[in-house]
Amino acid sequence: MFGKLSLLFEEFLIFIALLLLMLFFGLMTENFFTLGTLRTISTQLPALTVVTIGMTLVLISGGIDLSVGSIVALSSGVIGIAFTVFELPLPVAAILGILAGGCAGLINGFLGSYLRLPVFIVTLGMLEAGRGMAYLVTDSQTVYIGASIQALSLPISGIGVSASFLISLGLVVLAQYVLTRTVYGRYLIAIGTNEQAAKISGIRTEPYLMWVLVMSGLLAGLGGLMNAAYLGASDPNAATGLELSAIAAAVIGGTSLMGGRGSIVGAFIGVLIISVLQNGLAQMGVSEPVKRLITGLVIILAVLIDRWRGRQV
Amino acid sequence: MTARITIKGLNKSFATPVLKQLALQVAPGSIHGLVGENGAGKSTLINIICGLLAADSASLTLDGRAYHPTSRTDSLAEGLALASQELSLIETLSIEENILLSSFPQNAVSIDRRAVRQQAKVLMEIVGLRNIPPQTQLAHLSLAEKQLVELAKALSMPADRIKLLILDEPTSALTSSQADQVHKIIKQRAKSGLSVIYVSHRLDDVLCVCDTVSVLRDGVIQLTAASNSLTSNDLIREMSGEELLQHSGDEPRETGDLRLGIEQLSSADFPEPISLQCHAREIIGIAGLAGAGRSELLHAIYGLAADRQGRVVLNRSGANVLIDSANTAAKNGMALIAEDRKSQGIFSGKSISFNTTVAGLGKLSGNLGAIIPKREQRVSEELISRLKVKCEGTLQSIDRLSGGNQQKVLIARWLQSESDVWLLDEPTRGVDAGSKFAIHEQLRKLRDQGATMIIVSSELEELTALCDRILVLSNKKAVAIFKRGQWSKEKLLAAAFSEHKGERALAG
Repeated sequence: MFGKLSLLFEEFLIFIALLLLMLFFGLMTENFFTLGTLRTISTQLPALTVVTIGMTLVLISGGIDLSVGSIVALSSGVIGIAFTVFELPLPVAAILGILAGGCAGLINGFLGSYLRLPVFIVTLGMLEAGRGMAYLVTDSQTVYIGASIQALSLPISGIGVSASFLISLGLVVLAQYVLTRTVYGRYLIAIGTNEQAAKISGIRTEPYLMWVLVMSGLLAGLGGLMNAAYLGASDPNAATGLELSAIAAAVIGGTSLMGGRGSIVGAFIGVLIISVLQNGLAQMGVSEPVKRLITGLVIILAVLIDRWRGRQV
Repeated sequence: MTARITIKGLNKSFATPVLKQLALQVAPGSIHGLVGENGAGKSTLINIICGLLAADSASLTLDGRAYHPTSRTDSLAEGLALASQELSLIETLSIEENILLSSFPQNAVSIDRRAVRQQAKVLMEIVGLRNIPPQTQLAHLSLAEKQLVELAKALSMPADRIKLLILDEPTSALTSSQADQVHKIIKQRAKSGLSVIYVSHRLDDVLCVCDTVSVLRDGVIQLTAASNSLTSNDLIREMSGEELLQHSGDEPRETGDLRLGIEQLSSADFPEPISLQCHAREIIGIAGLAGAGRSELLHAIYGLAADRQGRVVLNRSGANVLIDSANTAAKNGMALIAEDRKSQGIFSGKSISFNTTVAGLGKLSGNLGAIIPKREQRVSEELISRLKVKCEGTLQSIDRLSGGNQQKVLIARWLQSESDVWLLDEPTRGVDAGSKFAIHEQLRKLRDQGATMIIVSSELEELTALCDRILVLSNKKAVAIFKRGQWSKEKLLAAAFSEHKGERALAG
């Protein structure tokens, strides 16, 4: 029972950190515990959450996906153009955007697993190429989509949170289930822990390593849809640097950059910590540079705590 | 005359004692040979002398002064040069940079490239690397050339500072004339007062180049004598020991039908094809010296080698399956337990249960690939108690277990996936006596239930106790196969050394 409890315990610790942070901002600012804060956080959150799910899975498999921010921009560009220029119905445009992300992920995955190129470099290339494609698709202009797409990110009356938020929450639960309860998830952890031992155990590693990057691409594509919904437009400059926020959230949530260890729920709490921190500091009137400084320190602190915890085990 | 180096009362244990009250003395200007089987403790001894390992207790003196190095930097400062078996070279640097890595000539601000070139050229000339430009990147060299670079690097220490030169298998990849050149240099240097410790599996070389030879067995020096009073047969006899083999008189056992056919198998690591027929209820041993290609053969059988040629055919309930990848092997009931548990066996940081079930998850999952936790727990608990793994429960991290218990978990992994063809690489290395016995019992039980096994081991006792047949590899070739009752430790060792000797005899 010890191992299972300690896993829950790790996630519990991060959750406590989140609560303490919220308590801190609750005491330091007047308006932190209001519906307004919840609304701000829940509209900003979904895109980062779904991208972080994909990133966490990739990190657990021992890889990394630096291209997610650019894929978000590419997907939202595809959606905007499909809807406005080609006048496709919005659901069709949305699916096209998500598939565009999946294609980018497929290229990443194929090069990384079957051709054995380092995924760091491959996805770094895709970070540039994806952003370039986003500019080409939108002709470097912000494409205004309008209210129809914004419905996705507006609070549903009676519930108080948006459809985007509910979808991302559902995906967190689903991905956590896949990771902890299915053969697919177990193999990802095994490959990320010790690829050679996994091979000797009869696991064909290539398809798993490819599909995890395809998954990350699809989720980033979905992130593009959510981003466009939040802005009501496709901005080719959107989500610049999002990959780093996703990595930071995953790491705060206890995911190892060396692979083999991580939790989707933990990473989601990591996303919450980052956005509570950002909003709380903003409400305290902290300037942007200081906000970034503090966020950076929190990330480093999280890794330090993680290292210390690792020694305990 | 004071000895160059004197070692007294040297003890070192890892899981079990490796060196016991070892004593050794090397005179100035003497070339001292050191021979012994794999695992006799040669590398441990060298590492201790060079400060790379700490002894549990020892008294070392160098030229009469107490000498207790704690790092390679210490031993370098004391004038110890080492050409190691696992070459200490850096592939991405050039030959000249590698040779002078530990003492770059420098001018005021940077490396003095002209001095580097000049000094490197002199050293390359000495070791016989004449036709290669010194700026060639190391990665482009053959293994033999790298071995010469390693030697040049060891000799880069100024002649007046170098006191003891340790050569660990310096000629294993060299041709006969290259080796002769190396021996000439060593003899020359020894005449001017340099002491040398020369470790080699090439017994003829040892006898011809060394003044004195010591035989190491089970962590104890068994014999030290002048080399002109010894023959290579004397050395083999001393290395093998005189104790009688436990099961040497056993009658050959009945084995079953053909299970695994290895036909003309070769790979990048052992170019000469090897064929072997393995039957049900049979254990086949693979013996050979370190580097003879034993692990490489096992990996190739399992479908895991670069440039794999030939066929491995598994007979599974009447149907023939061609083994072409580790995935097909594992799916069809083959198991590989690799030599290096840490890097190729266990999933570190994960639970015993995770490690037990990873190869047979398919059987534990319901529809849609979801693992049923209760079933996983029940199965892993059952296996853990069947193999008597000492642990606090199946959710304990595998890292907390002893080597022997980790090995039992690996066996459990393959039992869970219902394997019946087992490839085991050093199944009891670093394992305490109790676990070793338990593992042997388990392997015999599996055999009696109809399994086929191929076991690689450096311990001849282990092979002679378990196996029905023993295949001997020497220098990446299959040189002999012995049936139970036909072998003796001396015959096995002679075969294991044969290609090393043969090569020299042929060329010299």
